[in-house]
Amino acid sequence: MERLVGLVLLAGELLLTCGAEMYRVEETIERMGLAAGFVQVEGFATPTGLFISLHAPNGRVYTRVRRIRQTYNKLSTIAEVNSISRAFSDGSMTIQEVHDELERLSKETAPESLGRQLIGGAGAMAFTMIFGGNWFEGIIAGMTGAMVLVLVSWLGRHPVPKVLQAATGGIFAAAVIMGLSRILAIHPDLTTLGAVMVMTPGVAMTTAIRDLLSGELLSGLSRSAEALSVTVAIATGVAIVLTLGGR
Amino acid sequence: MLVQALIGFIGATAFAYIYRVPTRQLPYAGIVGSLGHVIFLLTRDEWGEVGGVFLAATMVAFFSEVLARRRRQPVLVFLIPAVIPLVPGAKAYLTMLSFLQDDYTGALVSFISTVLLAGAVAAGIIIASSLFRIYSRAKHVRR
Repeated sequence: MERLVGLVLLAGELLLTCGAEMYRVEETIERMGLAAGFVQVEGFATPTGLFISLHAPNGRVYTRVRRIRQTYNKLSTIAEVNSISRAFSDGSMTIQEVHDELERLSKETAPESLGRQLIGGAGAMAFTMIFGGNWFEGIIAGMTGAMVLVLVSWLGRHPVPKVLQAATGGIFAAAVIMGLSRILAIHPDLTTLGAVMVMTPGVAMTTAIRDLLSGELLSGLSRSAEALSVTVAIATGVAIVLTLGGR
Repeated sequence: MLVQALIGFIGATAFAYIYRVPTRQLPYAGIVGSLGHVIFLLTRDEWGEVGGVFLAATMVAFFSEVLARRRRQPVLVFLIPAVIPLVPGAKAYLTMLSFLQDDYTGALVSFISTVLLAGAVAAGIIIASSLFRIYSRAKHVRR
């Protein structure tokens, strides 16, 4: 029983740290808890903490609280935990298999290869071109965007708050492009815009909308606040450079 | 238009990559994103920017929900990257720039249009997703 409680808690924690919606976290906890043989399962998830209470058939109640300190964007983990929990409740996966899979997911560190960041830079290129930049500006934005991703993921490995990461990324992108625009014929605004777009808090924005929709006011509002503060931080970073550069 | 569709695809796929969408779902996320961008471009002139973004976001959310059920994935996997090309980044940037240049009237105008565009994206997602929620609830009850 102890071990099953740990499994349910771990699944919920993985979902929360990777930015899943609240209803998904609570639904997964309930599904896994019932499949594990508990008679009543209560889960309460917020973006910064997870509370579960599992009632065993013999009358014992197991309650656990888990504080969520760090979150990062990793949608593949959400998808995997989702299918593990479904397989577990179907009975097509044993407790040992679920344990091994969840342990593997929780140990899996984010693979930060240079290739990943270069592909991420293509997003910056696309954005500059969506807003009317030409190929050349797109490529400059893409390279700067890739460097921003390298910088932000490096900062992310140290205890640097998200807002400060975003501001630093904004300063870096604006400074690089401001410098380049002195020697190259590029539109500085369009190029900077593309390069900073790689830091868009897309996961926070979308889950905030979906949380509010399903009546999760607490996490909906706190995620909207996260998205807003990151956006303002990026803008502040860019604004600092533009002011110093005399715009 | 073909170039724009391609750019939308590249953009959504790249963002899917940044958010670590499972590798096998990457092209689907890209296609939905590209579709949203093209719908926005096609309807922008007739419906205005806000209307175009609203329609595009509704369609993107709709196809994300369909794909999520077909491919047994969480909706977020498709929805997050596909919505990204519709985010009013340019308007937000313009707001910041106008504030810097002491053009408060211009800043207010672009701020309001940023809020409207972001609201249109949110409204589109809410409408498509709640229709799906009602539908699946109804199916659940019937069983």
